[in-house]
Amino acid sequence: MTLPFLRLAGVTKRYRGHGGVENVSLEVAAGESVVVVGPSGSGKTTLLRLVAGLEHPDAGEIWLDGRQVAESRRNTVPANERKVGFVFQDLALWPHLSAFANVEFAANSTGQPGTERTSRIHEILRLCRVEPLLADRYPHQLSGGEQQRVALARALAGSPQLLLLDEPFSSLDRDLRITLRSELASLRRQLQFTTIYVTHDPDDAEALADRTVAIRSAKVGSVMPHTP
Amino acid sequence: MWGWRSSRTVITLTAAAVFVVVCVLPLLFMLWAALAEPRHTVSGIQGLLLDRRQVRLLYNTVLLGCGTAVLATLVGAPLGFGLAKFTLPFKSVLRLALVAPAVLPPYVIALALIYVGGNLASTLGGAIVALTIVFYPLAMLATEVAARQIEPRLEEAAILVATPGRVLRRITWPLVAPSVVSAAMVIFVLAISEFSVPGLLRVRVFTTEVFTAFAALYDFGRATMLAIPLLMVSVVLASVAAARLGSRVVTTRRHARGEPLEVFDQWRSVALALISCAIVTMLIVPVAVLAREALRSVSIVGVVRDSREAVINSLFLAFWGATVVTMLAVCLGYARARAPVKVGVTVDALWLILFTVPSTVIGIGLIGVWNRPTAFGLYGTSAMLVLGYLARFVPIGGLAMAATIRSVPESHEEAAAVAGARWARTMTRIVLPQIRIGVLAVWAISFMLAFGEVGTSILVAPPGESTLPIRVYTLTANAPPGQVAALALFQSIVIFVPLTLLGMAMATREAS
Repeated sequence: MTLPFLRLAGVTKRYRGHGGVENVSLEVAAGESVVVVGPSGSGKTTLLRLVAGLEHPDAGEIWLDGRQVAESRRNTVPANERKVGFVFQDLALWPHLSAFANVEFAANSTGQPGTERTSRIHEILRLCRVEPLLADRYPHQLSGGEQQRVALARALAGSPQLLLLDEPFSSLDRDLRITLRSELASLRRQLQFTTIYVTHDPDDAEALADRTVAIRSAKVGSVMPHTP
Repeated sequence: MWGWRSSRTVITLTAAAVFVVVCVLPLLFMLWAALAEPRHTVSGIQGLLLDRRQVRLLYNTVLLGCGTAVLATLVGAPLGFGLAKFTLPFKSVLRLALVAPAVLPPYVIALALIYVGGNLASTLGGAIVALTIVFYPLAMLATEVAARQIEPRLEEAAILVATPGRVLRRITWPLVAPSVVSAAMVIFVLAISEFSVPGLLRVRVFTTEVFTAFAALYDFGRATMLAIPLLMVSVVLASVAAARLGSRVVTTRRHARGEPLEVFDQWRSVALALISCAIVTMLIVPVAVLAREALRSVSIVGVVRDSREAVINSLFLAFWGATVVTMLAVCLGYARARAPVKVGVTVDALWLILFTVPSTVIGIGLIGVWNRPTAFGLYGTSAMLVLGYLARFVPIGGLAMAATIRSVPESHEEAAAVAGARWARTMTRIVLPQIRIGVLAVWAISFMLAFGEVGTSILVAPPGESTLPIRVYTLTANAPPGQVAALALFQSIVIFVPLTLLGMAMATREAS
């Protein structure tokens, strides 16, 4: 039996007051695309943040590519060493850097030499359909769809083993969402990365999921397999 | 709700009229006096401002401003980063201790420096060090607020692909830098506007020259002419700083969304050590030096008793000054908070400019406006001191109050109006209860600043009437150091009382 690429075992994270996740277990195989669905406040975003290393679990363990990256109350591997890409719900493009510089910042972590890195950035921008003339523009000079593409390019620039997407298309109109969804599916087929995609939208789940899991509440055993 | 007969309009317009008369008119008078002075021809101005003595004065003034701005930023910005980016124990207490030097009268710090450094302190370098201790909290608070306002996702997105050091350098710092630079510009203006420190340390700069021209040479024309370059620099730099900051001038920490990132916590002990060092160096050492000097030669109680009249005067006038400043600040701050963005930003700029006007310039302007038979006989009374406090501290009070009132959503007032409440009832029952800590803060800060005010007071105080700062300042020339140190120490202790109470109130609010 092959080891899962990502494994969460009995992971709990509580915030003062409300939210978080409780005793969550989940396994994701290499190259698999898992879509996480659930109501607001059920802990979907917390789940991604724990996997990315932006939070540490209060209890439980997280394993990534055969390595334990977090245990109870501490991250054993920091976020910047996990080789994880993250597309945030609000995209979080750095406003003082151009589209190219946003992607370049992330690409710097690959350790590639300068010229190789530059050509890789251009390649990623092309794959994500960011027009060359947009590369020098700042985030506020881009449309919503262009910003989405730059955010995706940035997330891919660090050559991540795992791509986490937190409702990235939620603020877009329906047509653009459909376009970007199919572009993402095509990119995944091309680059073969593992993804965890959080969404409210059943259409997203249908288009992107190898498997869908539902978080129904932040309670014990709340992550359950779900047939799309 | 803003109709001509509405109580909101009447109260706001009344406050605005008082503000114009007390804060703006003295400056307009200075400008008019400078233009109307018969000696102020082009050649006369060139002769006065460009002779060797004045060029030296300009050099000293610019060096004092630049040195203080750079040093205060180098000290304050890392501390602001520390407060914003690390999870620290007793953060409210640490912040309060770091801010404390800013509310101590600047000459108290200068006195401590003299007791430590002797003649070495009485140099331009000494003045820069003293003013750095006074003004670094501004750089610190500006950095902290800016760093906390950064959307946490921006740093989180970076931390996935870069080391914490690179994130600080490439993402956090560029986003914070505009606020830090603007704060440095404000510090520059405040440093060149400061009178008591260069005056005490015998460093000749424009503010001391203006004071000498007016108080020693009785040459009003020369004083106004010397004040004009200072005023121009203040106005230009404060305008640029305000324009760069935009609406961020009135942003409070309550708006700040950033929580410390977990990965930065690896440097937490270093940050804590730096903050502790700063508190010891900037606060504990100066106060301890004053205490040592005071205890060495005299009875503190005896010295304070001898200055009883000045102490009572100061407490009484600072109390009423702070109370009126707060009342005006609430009305003006409310109008600013509910004003359209462009109007609001313009008002912020005006307040920032007025706050940076040198105290000696304000003093001369007040005398010019109120020293006339038609001015209700206020000149020559203690009311002039209260007017001085208003002229100096209403602008900063208004800025602080506007920031606080902006944290109350406008919809709260609209809901009250829909429920049938008039504006006065809405203010007393809905708005004021939500901003009571802010009101307390403005009162306490105004009290502390008024209790230590010397630059304007020394010019407008009626004959035979003294405040504690004036007494301390004049005693430095002819009284034993122990006696001066005892009074300065007493003054510091009085200032620490409202500061501590304010800190406790804020800590309680944070805890709840």
